[in-house]
Amino acid sequence: MKPLFITWEYPPIKAGGIAAHCEDLATTMADQGHEPIVLTYGPEKETEYRDGVEIHRIPSTNNAENTLAWAMHLGHQIEKKAIQLYKQKDFDLVHAHDWMTVSAATGIKNTLSLPMVFTVHSTQKGRDGIDSQYQRTIHNLEWYGTYEADQVITVGREFSEEVKHTFEVPDGKLNYIPNGVNLEKFDQHNASFNKNNYALDWEEIILFVGRMYPQKGPGHLIEAMPEIIDQNPHAKFIMCGSGATEHYKNIAKNHVGDKVYFPGYVSDKDLLSLMKNARMTVAPSVYEPFGIVPLEAAACETATVGSYTGGMKDTIIHEYTGLHTYPEDSNSISYQVNRALDDPGWTEWLGDNARERVEDNFRWEQISAWTTGVYKKTITN
Amino acid sequence: MKVLILSKEFRDGEGVSEYCKNIAEHLVEKGNEVTILSFDDGSYYSTRKEVEVRRVPVPFEGDNIYNWSMILNNELKRQAAELGEEKFDIVHANDWTTVPGGVTLAKHFNKPLLLTVHSTENERGFNEDHSEIISELEWQGVYDADKILTTNEGTKNSVLFDLDAPDEKVEVIDPYTENWRERVLKNYQNLVKQQKAPVNQA
Repeated sequence: MKPLFITWEYPPIKAGGIAAHCEDLATTMADQGHEPIVLTYGPEKETEYRDGVEIHRIPSTNNAENTLAWAMHLGHQIEKKAIQLYKQKDFDLVHAHDWMTVSAATGIKNTLSLPMVFTVHSTQKGRDGIDSQYQRTIHNLEWYGTYEADQVITVGREFSEEVKHTFEVPDGKLNYIPNGVNLEKFDQHNASFNKNNYALDWEEIILFVGRMYPQKGPGHLIEAMPEIIDQNPHAKFIMCGSGATEHYKNIAKNHVGDKVYFPGYVSDKDLLSLMKNARMTVAPSVYEPFGIVPLEAAACETATVGSYTGGMKDTIIHEYTGLHTYPEDSNSISYQVNRALDDPGWTEWLGDNARERVEDNFRWEQISAWTTGVYKKTITN
Repeated sequence: MKVLILSKEFRDGEGVSEYCKNIAEHLVEKGNEVTILSFDDGSYYSTRKEVEVRRVPVPFEGDNIYNWSMILNNELKRQAAELGEEKFDIVHANDWTTVPGGVTLAKHFNKPLLLTVHSTENERGFNEDHSEIISELEWQGVYDADKILTTNEGTKNSVLFDLDAPDEKVEVIDPYTENWRERVLKNYQNLVKQQKAPVNQA
């Protein structure tokens, strides 16, 4: 099949999880004999062939008042590129990822009369609400994407219900396909790692990975920290991720001083090392359509203590691959983290189970096959 | 000659609508086919029955005219693609609000694009939140169009100096002058002839 991927971010450009998702999916499809073409943003016009995937980068504007207008402008540029490519090659369909690409994908769909698949990774309503007119416009654009798409894919089972009800998507149009993990990437990683950059020899790393915003719940973990340190003084919290770092850092330092460390930007290399060396990861998210961190940790044989919400209801099995906590409940977090720290052998067993489960259930080969199955359904309809 | 006219709106008494209507009625009188595509704002319009008018709803509420127009254009593209390329020899867009549709339809169906700039963002004061990005879209439309019409010298100057158009690409056709509609038709004919010339096969 020849899908045309539209994504605003594709590695090495990445801010959220869509970049990695698109790269892993496109690369796996290419391995399976498909011919994905990626149209994405880039500061310069550029064409690249990488891992069997043809990638075209298209610049946007410096004149946009906000991200929404920027995305609309990029959409028009991407569509012009698609039309130019279409003169030399066929695409079977256009596959868009999140609201940033809705204007591009619907434009291409209409001009070239192609089917459209739309993957919803998260919603504006869930991210930070639809109170302002700006937020509502993004919400409307998300609706327009689901309305225009022939098939909609969501990355979480519970999230699928949210998308269905928020945008009134008919049943036959909605598909749940989870995210995957590229296990090779984790297995090939064996970079030297200096633990002393992050923690003392006798300390056990408890890792948080995510943007420092309320949605990811770093504040709830910080509230739980004193209780954990009381019971397990060898715990050391490493808080990786960008966002409102200074804000959370100040609060955390007041709570537990040197027992928490905010390294700021962490390279992929170090992040994987941290995941492999951590006693556990903690994912205290308030809202999480899918949540890739538990699966990445699992690939490193590390268990996750995560909120019982959204995708983590499926990606963590309580007391088998990790531990669930009540969302927005710091007592629940400290209780479960202490349980895991109190019994290191058990926690390792959880991590091993997590890895096994990822190998069986969250491989890109499988996800890619499911996705092309949706493509087939789209084309034959 | 079959002409596809794109206009943000099409209703009686509105300037750009009347401009399009005048051209369309003249064209059908001379035995040409015209389709006008625009937003359906529910207001009244009238024209000769030979003029095909398709007004479309836009199922998207935007926070401003820029974002809304981008989706309007996607709806116009759908209509045009449904009509099929045999329904038009040339695309005539009006102002930046129909530039994205005009440009992509012309490119995809290999038709010439005529753009009438009724006014530029510079002339309108350049003082809206989205003035810069609108002006950039005007610049691109002027760049991508095969020919630009303006209705007065002032707008032509703005198209030349603010939007960097080459002088030979821009023509003033004032709709308050005699034979202005014949001159528009002449432009259509020239553009279609150029498009069909063998040198342009690439």
